[in-house]
Amino acid sequence: MTLSQAPFIVIFAPLAAFLLLGAIAPLRRSGKAAAGLVILATAFSFEATVELLVHVLRGGRDLELSYRWIRVAGEPLAEVGLLVDGTSAPMAAVVGLVALCVQIYSLGYLGPEEHTKADIGRYYTWHALFVVAMQSLVLAPNLLQLFIGWELVGLCSYLLIGFYWERAYAGKAAVKAFWVNKFADSFLMLGLVVLWVDTQSFGWDLAGLPAFNVTTVGLLLLMGTVAKSAQVPLHIWLPDAMAGPTPVSALLHAATMVAAGVYLVLRGWPIFGGSEVTLTAMAWIGSITAITAAIFACLQDDLKKLLAYSTCSQLGYMVAALGAGGMAAGYFHLTTHAFFKALLFLGAGSVIHATHQQSMSRMGGLAKGMPVTFVLFAIGSAALVGLPPFAGFFSKELVLAELWHAGLTVPFLLCLLGAAVTGFYVTRALLRVFLLSGEHRMPAHAKGHESPWTMLLPMLALAVLTLGAGFFQADFTATVAAEQAFHFGGVGIAAMALALAGVTAGVLVHRLGALGVTGGTPMIEDRPLDAFYEWAYKARLLDYAAAIAWVDRYVVDGLMNLGAWWTLRAAELARRLQSGRISDYVWAVGMGMLAVMAYGLVYGLGA
Amino acid sequence: MVIPLSAWLTLAALMFACGLYAVLTRRNALALLLGVELMANAANLNLVAFGAAQGSYEGQVMALFGMALTVAEVAVGLAVVIQLYRRHKDIRIDAASELSG
Repeated sequence: MTLSQAPFIVIFAPLAAFLLLGAIAPLRRSGKAAAGLVILATAFSFEATVELLVHVLRGGRDLELSYRWIRVAGEPLAEVGLLVDGTSAPMAAVVGLVALCVQIYSLGYLGPEEHTKADIGRYYTWHALFVVAMQSLVLAPNLLQLFIGWELVGLCSYLLIGFYWERAYAGKAAVKAFWVNKFADSFLMLGLVVLWVDTQSFGWDLAGLPAFNVTTVGLLLLMGTVAKSAQVPLHIWLPDAMAGPTPVSALLHAATMVAAGVYLVLRGWPIFGGSEVTLTAMAWIGSITAITAAIFACLQDDLKKLLAYSTCSQLGYMVAALGAGGMAAGYFHLTTHAFFKALLFLGAGSVIHATHQQSMSRMGGLAKGMPVTFVLFAIGSAALVGLPPFAGFFSKELVLAELWHAGLTVPFLLCLLGAAVTGFYVTRALLRVFLLSGEHRMPAHAKGHESPWTMLLPMLALAVLTLGAGFFQADFTATVAAEQAFHFGGVGIAAMALALAGVTAGVLVHRLGALGVTGGTPMIEDRPLDAFYEWAYKARLLDYAAAIAWVDRYVVDGLMNLGAWWTLRAAELARRLQSGRISDYVWAVGMGMLAVMAYGLVYGLGA
Repeated sequence: MVIPLSAWLTLAALMFACGLYAVLTRRNALALLLGVELMANAANLNLVAFGAAQGSYEGQVMALFGMALTVAEVAVGLAVVIQLYRRHKDIRIDAASELSG
């Protein structure tokens, strides 16, 4: 494989697998063979992304391939292609790696007892499509292709959340995710239209383009980010998305797809960064999400929902960092978060696989039964809390430093507080699942059992990255073309102190809980917000849609129907001419002849 | 005595009118054919009369062609009538109204 082929292999290897599985039903229904094919394709794709990343890290020139797509009056309306540069190469590699890990992990997770071969084939088919969609999003040379990939990953998300379609709540969760995202995507599309109208271009590079309203376009595009990256107030779909299989949650709803919103900001930096208003909005939305979602995470009893809120919260840090102008900080946190959050989700999956439980109050003391999972989960937790030397420490401190230096005091304080709350809920989760004895433990699964190597190996790989990624921070920031380097200053110490305080609080609550001070676990979710959206939908949007439908049916269609009715009436009259009686025809001929003759007598026959 | 052209033409016009009347009013297919024949011969009579008035034979030649044509037409017409009868057991043309709109 040469370097020029690599970008193609990134996309076309999984695409080939997807098409094969889509076209050949027996292969898809074969289960393991389908899984093997997709894993092989993803492995090729990942290998190619690594090659591209190495190329970029060595300072190689950017690779760009583009093809004209839609022609309008001889000019291309848009181009499709692949763009490999300092921004896209690291993300492509992260996507490839996590996808590969998750697909291998799924081999063990989707056990033959609960899943038919056809289920497994379907699962891997969507996974192949996801890799295609995500990589074409990441490697997109312009906003239009990114938008196409964006919608495709949304489709994969919908399909995979609803993977257990026989469970009613999974279907509902899938529809909810789809609905919330489509709502925001309509704004994103509007942003694309505005950009095109003003500049006749979908490109990233705004140099040489006519002036346009950067703020309007930026804010419209930001709506897409808010929904995709589950920022307040459109975060409501992510906790429900946990209805999907846990590996899917790890890949789509923790590491890669939800980070697409952050990636959009990175890619479209000339647009987002060009407006002070957009940046400020991002800093506030991100920091509010960081603290709110962290607080909600404390209130969860479901292990996966806790991690989902934690994901919202960490995505908030990324968005806030970008709002502070810290491209490298946001991107680096995206990368480390992809590793440690995927690790945490896979760890949670391992626990769920062993206990068939998602409720933390039914778990407990699993550290003895599943020591490897425990250690790996603890590594992920430490990174999430932000303890050195784990990757999360470096990236989170970078985010906070950016906020501090940008002078955004309130968002900085919110994020700092969020770090403490993160320490609190992570500690509680770790204690309740692995260390303390369970509150209502189920005897059958009391001890738990270690997961098979297909599940542990991917976790191990991610754990190694979680441990090591932090030290490559300087290289990373250099690649993304930003100058901020890590400096362990007052911000770092404050954040670490607060995180440790959170951890201590988490431990203390359980010490007190053992003495009977705390009651049951509250299970509050942000249902009021759901209720508000439902009200807005039912009371406002549906009426509006009904009005539009009325206009469409009786005014737009009515005019068409009127034309059609008149045509029918005319035809009804005209068909009577053909009576089927010869004498009538002869009458017509005779009369016609007489008419011609009369005309000739009166006016002459010409010539 | 020389019969004037206008007399011939009047006769031909009357014959044509009779033929047309037959075609328009009669339901029997054979009577219809007779009417058509009458109209055709009215036209032939016109040709001969014009030819005679001009003192040339061309009119008569045309009339002969016309007769041959009429014979062929009647042969086709009778064949249609036979088919009509086979299909409907009836030669009244009202029976053949499948193509009415």
